[in-house]
Amino acid sequence: MEENKNSAISVRNVCIDYKSLKTGSIKQNFFKLKKVEQEVFHAVRNVSFEVPEGQILGITGKNGSGKSTMLRAIAGIFSADSGEIDLHGHTISLLSIGVGFKNELSGRENIILSGMLLGFSREFIIEKMPEIIEFAGIGNFIDMPVKTYSSGMYSKLAFSITAILETEIMLIDEVLSVGDQKFKKKSYNKMKELISKRDRTVVIVSHSMSTLEDLCDQIIWMHDGEIVMYDKPEIVLPVYTDFMR
Amino acid sequence: MKRFWRDLTSHYRYAIYSAKSELKSEVANSYLNWIWWVLEPFCFMLIYAFIFGVVFEAREQYFPAFIFIGITAWDFFNRCLTQSVKLLKNNKSIVTKVYIPKFILLISKMFFNGYKMLFSFGIIVIMIIYFRIPITLNILYVIPSFIVLFVVTFACMTHLMHYGVFIQDLANVTNIVLRMVFYMTGIFYNIEKRLPAQYTGILMKGNPMALVLSSLRKCILYGQAPDVKWLIIWFIIGIIVAALGVRKIYKNENSYVKVI
Repeated sequence: MEENKNSAISVRNVCIDYKSLKTGSIKQNFFKLKKVEQEVFHAVRNVSFEVPEGQILGITGKNGSGKSTMLRAIAGIFSADSGEIDLHGHTISLLSIGVGFKNELSGRENIILSGMLLGFSREFIIEKMPEIIEFAGIGNFIDMPVKTYSSGMYSKLAFSITAILETEIMLIDEVLSVGDQKFKKKSYNKMKELISKRDRTVVIVSHSMSTLEDLCDQIIWMHDGEIVMYDKPEIVLPVYTDFMR
Repeated sequence: MKRFWRDLTSHYRYAIYSAKSELKSEVANSYLNWIWWVLEPFCFMLIYAFIFGVVFEAREQYFPAFIFIGITAWDFFNRCLTQSVKLLKNNKSIVTKVYIPKFILLISKMFFNGYKMLFSFGIIVIMIIYFRIPITLNILYVIPSFIVLFVVTFACMTHLMHYGVFIQDLANVTNIVLRMVFYMTGIFYNIEKRLPAQYTGILMKGNPMALVLSSLRKCILYGQAPDVKWLIIWFIIGIIVAALGVRKIYKNENSYVKVI
């Protein structure tokens, strides 16, 4: 463990609930006025952990165990119902594919659009543009409308944007399988390179044992919104594999 | 309030860029592209001018320009409101993946529709020249009239966007209400002349759109000063309602993502 480092993410006693706030029609709402019954589903219950700077943390667990919810809360997409998430002033991004893409526009314009959504300035994106285009490797298609792209090219471009525009903390939600074999390898390596930079903190949500074993320093195993284990991969993964059998 | 300014300053550039790209993507597929933004209100003006000028014998000075100002400002208001109902759902891919202050989406929509409005106002300038409409200093009242229009529109949008998430058939209701307001706003007739006096007062003061339209027409076409007192009152009401709306959006931000 690297005790000498500052923590990058502190999660303290976080609970996240989904109230079954169903959308309804006006008619339904009229009838509901009298009997207000709200089922509450606890997606994340009283979770606390610290991630030191530069660590690569994996989160695993079966479907519906609250992994993605946790990740989205860390990214700030919604805040916790109780408890606290402190990023200590680091910039953060959730690596996701094609945020805010507009299909009629060219690849270039979409890079700017998507990048600005991720919180970068236009100048910075334009400066990084050649690098993104080169990494995506889709040639002349960069000036064509995105709707003419094949689905592989689309995700290649989208992945390149998030891969090149770096933030101090990266959150990755199961996106390592993009494009053809060649690009997959390339993106996996790029991912590894990005991740293994010393000052970068990464949180990966994944089901793939090999990815977790290969990349992560620490693993959190979540089950029904609670942390079951938080330890080194060699310790957690065998137990988890046993449990899932 | 502080948070509103901070979020606004950090995200307004995205709002503008996104509006621009939306405009671009809208014209990308049509032959006449941006000409439609002018052509559409122009054609409607011709239709209304014929029906109400010839069939119903409306007598207004500079009638085509009178209608055109009405249509242009109304279209802005109408489009902004109808689009904001489904705004969060249509932007699901953005809202569920990155954090963005939700009212930025509204502001982006306003830029989008405002830019279109600017185009049709080009036509109004041409009409002013064509009809040789005398311009007086009162034309400066255009600015406060537009400010009131923007504030009132934004105020309505915040609330519509919020309830649009939870109530699925809100779009149907807004359509009906908007159609009603459309007829009560006097797009193609002059409220002050055509209605019995007791209704005129209520409509001119109680309906901000009617007030804005008559202010615009008075200062652009007829060289008169608008009803400044009521413009100020509606400006203040608009600010208060908008502030409540923004507060409501901030409060419910969490649940939007979970519901859509």
